[in-house]
Amino acid sequence: MSGQPNGNSVILSEKSYQEINTYLGDLLQKSRASLCVFADMNGYPVSYKTTRTALNVDTLTALAVNDFSATAEIAKILGETQRFRYLYHEGIKQNLYLCNIGNHYLLIVIFGPHVNLGMIRMLSQHVAGKLDALLNRIRDEKDKVAKYMDVEFRTLLGQELDKAFGLKN
Amino acid sequence: MHIDHQKNEIVFKIVYYGPGLSGKTTNLEYVHSQLDPGLCGDLISLKTSEGRTLFFDFLHLELGRIQGKKPRFHLYTTAGQARYAASRQVVLQGTDSLVFVVDSQRGRLADNFASLKELQNRLTQNGVAITQLPWLIQYNKRDLPMAEDVAVLERKLNIWEVPYIEAIAVTGRGVFLTLRKAIELIIKK
Ligand SMILES: Nc1nc2c(ncn2[C@@H]2O[C@H](COP(=O)(O)OP(=O)(O)O)[C@@H](O)[C@H]2O)c(=O)[nH]1
Ligand SMILES: [Mg+2]
Repeated sequence: MSGQPNGNSVILSEKSYQEINTYLGDLLQKSRASLCVFADMNGYPVSYKTTRTALNVDTLTALAVNDFSATAEIAKILGETQRFRYLYHEGIKQNLYLCNIGNHYLLIVIFGPHVNLGMIRMLSQHVAGKLDALLNRIRDEKDKVAKYMDVEFRTLLGQELDKAFGLKN
Repeated sequence: MHIDHQKNEIVFKIVYYGPGLSGKTTNLEYVHSQLDPGLCGDLISLKTSEGRTLFFDFLHLELGRIQGKKPRFHLYTTAGQARYAASRQVVLQGTDSLVFVVDSQRGRLADNFASLKELQNRLTQNGVAITQLPWLIQYNKRDLPMAEDVAVLERKLNIWEVPYIEAIAVTGRGVFLTLRKAIELIIKK
């Protein structure tokens, strides 16, 4: 849901997902990046494409979103009226590029030293524009949560939690 | 929460809030130490050189599939210290359920109260009323001799009459009950 900073549920239709995945896949391939994540500012990876295995995308996303949000506070202190448009962290073997999408979403790109930053920037900007347009088009459908978590699911989830947490047998 | 139809997953965000040193990080450390590594990612702690939480801690949990759907949980703690207020605002965004960790010691009553007030303000700034959010109180450090009676804490702090759980996070007492309750509040909503 694009217009709501504290929205409790972010639910996209299958079609929107497919569209996002196409953009991310395209970006990954053209840029030769190793990971592209489309994340929301609540810290969730909405979708991602990667050539790497054994990468904890959840944790990486939570940290990247908070990194980005911290610098948004710096922008405020500096008197910027908007968030920084992008952030770049350069390492020896890995680089990280974060690109703001409409203030409520973030594009995270990881790439190696053989990839040119200008290229990443250009391609990311292009995809960010497409994603932004998509987000402005879709509307959140709240009743989908109720459908996804029906009564049986809720009951079973409670039982599984008790088992995992050692609370009941 | 976040639903991913492609992977058939649902993700919930749970935040531990409260004054500095009330035991928020200890709660996550205990959860992390007890759960099967298959269910639980690394505990990420962004700490200052003095070991206090800077920004937040983060722990990722997941269960096996239920009706084909995979439930996952993002657990965050906030930095208690006053100077990290901006970071707390960010962590609070999109919270599905919140645990307010109270330091039960008599001398910390004012700190608990100030933190609760701050929570209320921050939620308001994010456009959420505290009465809309599923949340509970954990009265922690029940082992300490200076711990105030729960009845007194209830009267002074819990004006919303949200559920509460007594805990000794260092030994793990009440830690999983608290997390279980926080999730239950979401799924009962
Ligand atoms: N006695 C006692 N100490 C606790 C308990 N829970 C946490 N502590 C201690 O309180 C201190 C602060 O805990 P921490 O989890 O870092 O607090 P945070 O600032 O809320 O994250 C640590 O030294 C903990 O070991 C408890 O239930 N009883
Ligand atoms: Mg801490």
